[in-house]
Amino acid sequence: MAIIPIDRLEAGMTLKADVCDRSGRLLLPAGAMLADKQLKIFRTWGIADADIQLGPDDVRADIAPETGTVDPKLLAEAEQAIARLFCHNNPQHPMIQELMRVCLERRLAHAG
Amino acid sequence: MPANKPLTLEELLSDISAVPSLPLLYSRLDEAINHPRSSIGDIAKVLSEDQGLTARILKLANSPLFGYFSKIDTITQAVTIIGIQQVRDLALAISVMGLFKGIPEDLITMERFWRHSIGSALAARVLATSQRESNLERFFVAGILHDIGRLVLFIRLPELCREMIEISGKEHRCLYEIERERLGFDHADVGGGLLRRWKLPLRVAEPVEFHHRSNRAEQFPRESAVLHCANLLAHALELGGSGDNSVPPLIDGSWEHLAISPFQLSHIVAQIDKQLNEITTALYGAPS
Repeated sequence: MAIIPIDRLEAGMTLKADVCDRSGRLLLPAGAMLADKQLKIFRTWGIADADIQLGPDDVRADIAPETGTVDPKLLAEAEQAIARLFCHNNPQHPMIQELMRVCLERRLAHAG
Repeated sequence: MPANKPLTLEELLSDISAVPSLPLLYSRLDEAINHPRSSIGDIAKVLSEDQGLTARILKLANSPLFGYFSKIDTITQAVTIIGIQQVRDLALAISVMGLFKGIPEDLITMERFWRHSIGSALAARVLATSQRESNLERFFVAGILHDIGRLVLFIRLPELCREMIEISGKEHRCLYEIERERLGFDHADVGGGLLRRWKLPLRVAEPVEFHHRSNRAEQFPRESAVLHCANLLAHALELGGSGDNSVPPLIDGSWEHLAISPFQLSHIVAQIDKQLNEITTALYGAPS
């Protein structure tokens, strides 16, 4: 299973689960291939993410693409500070995981 | 007062001289707003009794936040433009912070505390908006007031608080856990008790009381879950502070209660940052 946020969805991906809107109305069934038109429809209906079938070579390709260009020392420092900040929380929880990522990006953006 | 003397929550709050009362202006404003036959003019009259507040509201109404190019120069116009409910929220935000004077600076500066409160309030409102909630003011008000119990503790038991903050830093534990251990209750209980005394509606008082154990709230579990997550966001974004320097643990089920996808978080965070900047600029002149 790979839940991918809307901003990283691309045409050509295949849905693994149905995409429904807030009230449960089916927008696109599992197994359908995404096209630009569908991505536009998802945005119109406020869909935040979709469950995508991953091919063998794009496992983990979606993790933190934006931090690639950052000075590694700065990155390590920021990561350490975030880890300290979240020491009472379970980093495996999907909300905490995403929040830590957002906080890391925010911190790097402020530092740079 | 000896720090080890057991003190009950009731005793803590019953000393009238040390525990502030709800700003008179706020209750009068609330009364004017809720009165079925009051007009904007009546509300403006109550507001204009406080010069500082009037000035700030006018400043806000003239800020880019509301997009009015023409100068707004009367409080009546300002209330019409900002909205009655928002004016009440602002009045509360501005006046509550003035209540607590004489807190030792090494415990907390009011500026840091204000930023944490307003940050949580904005976060609560943003989270509630994404829930399609109506009547967002109660979330904002609960956010502003959620850590007010800590101010009471700082005023009444400064020595003990200093000790507890030290322990929490040294042992990497949450401050509210140590409060429960040492006092038998935490700052959320104190805040809830104070708000009940102030006769604020239960839909505000209960979430405040349960913001560190939102799964226990009986009447307003959804509001409590929103407030719990909002407080967590304010800590995560390091917007000011209230004594604790780490993010409090997420209570099981509270995030799930909101039914927000984690991937909306970056958008939510951007909104909070933007609104906080706008509100500090509008009220204090310069963004921080």
